[in-house]
Amino acid sequence: MKRDSLPAFACSLLEFVLPGPYREAILGDLIEEYTLRSESTSRFAASRWFWSQACRSVPSMVWSSLRSRDCLISISTAMGVYIVMKILEHGAELAISKWVAPQPATYVLLAPVVFLTSSAIGGCVAARIRRGATKFLALMVMITVAVLIDLKVCTIPVPWWYQFGFLTLGPLAVIITPTLFGRLKQQRALA
Amino acid sequence: MKRGELLGSLEQIILLALMRLDGNAHGMIVRREIEKRTGRNISIGAVYATLERLETKGYVSSFTGEPTPERGGRAKRIFRVEAAGKRALQISEQTIRSMTAGLKDRLGTT
Repeated sequence: MKRDSLPAFACSLLEFVLPGPYREAILGDLIEEYTLRSESTSRFAASRWFWSQACRSVPSMVWSSLRSRDCLISISTAMGVYIVMKILEHGAELAISKWVAPQPATYVLLAPVVFLTSSAIGGCVAARIRRGATKFLALMVMITVAVLIDLKVCTIPVPWWYQFGFLTLGPLAVIITPTLFGRLKQQRALA
Repeated sequence: MKRGELLGSLEQIILLALMRLDGNAHGMIVRREIEKRTGRNISIGAVYATLERLETKGYVSSFTGEPTPERGGRAKRIFRVEAAGKRALQISEQTIRSMTAGLKDRLGTT
């Protein structure tokens, strides 16, 4: 059975949501059972079974992770990384607004670059320390941006999509960058 | 008996399933065994969450098997019932037995 016939979205969702220790085992078990079921019944029935298992498994595993305090360690790691990330970001923004680009227009152009770079670096650092911390870091970035937009902290008039970009691309940079680096590393190791 | 020694119903069922599987199996086999014997369609996540809890209590131990292509290159996690797990099952069975003694008529069992 080709792996691409698997419900890819359900697999990615599980990979992202399931807590560390048993992630590989659960996904492996589900893939194995899916293969058996799609051979004995139909692919549609097997996919339905896979999705039902995926949706019902997530709450149990997340609750179990919360009980074992695994989540708390991930949240603490994310908070630590977030603080360092924000200090660096603030330093970079100060430098830009004072020396590199004192005009508001240039600042508007450079601010997203600084924000996305710090988010990407933060994501990589969090993933290096603890893989589960990236999702909490992404959530923290998203909440902070949403609060800042709501409080209208930005005094320079900008279009809505500019702020929406911060809200969506920041958390995405936190999550996607470590995954991309991981894949690049794997490809290099295989080569 | 300490509170921690009492097994939850799913813990008990999973330990018994592991015993039936010669005390050595991975999550999906345990799930299948439970479904076959009880008709309960429990999620694989619930099985692993319970196995994790049992492992923390020292009732089961686990080791990682070899990754196989049919599992998309992912390794199995094999679980084994430990002596403490067997003892917990004995205690649990004794507790149920002593609590149900004399209640057969009321429970409607033979």
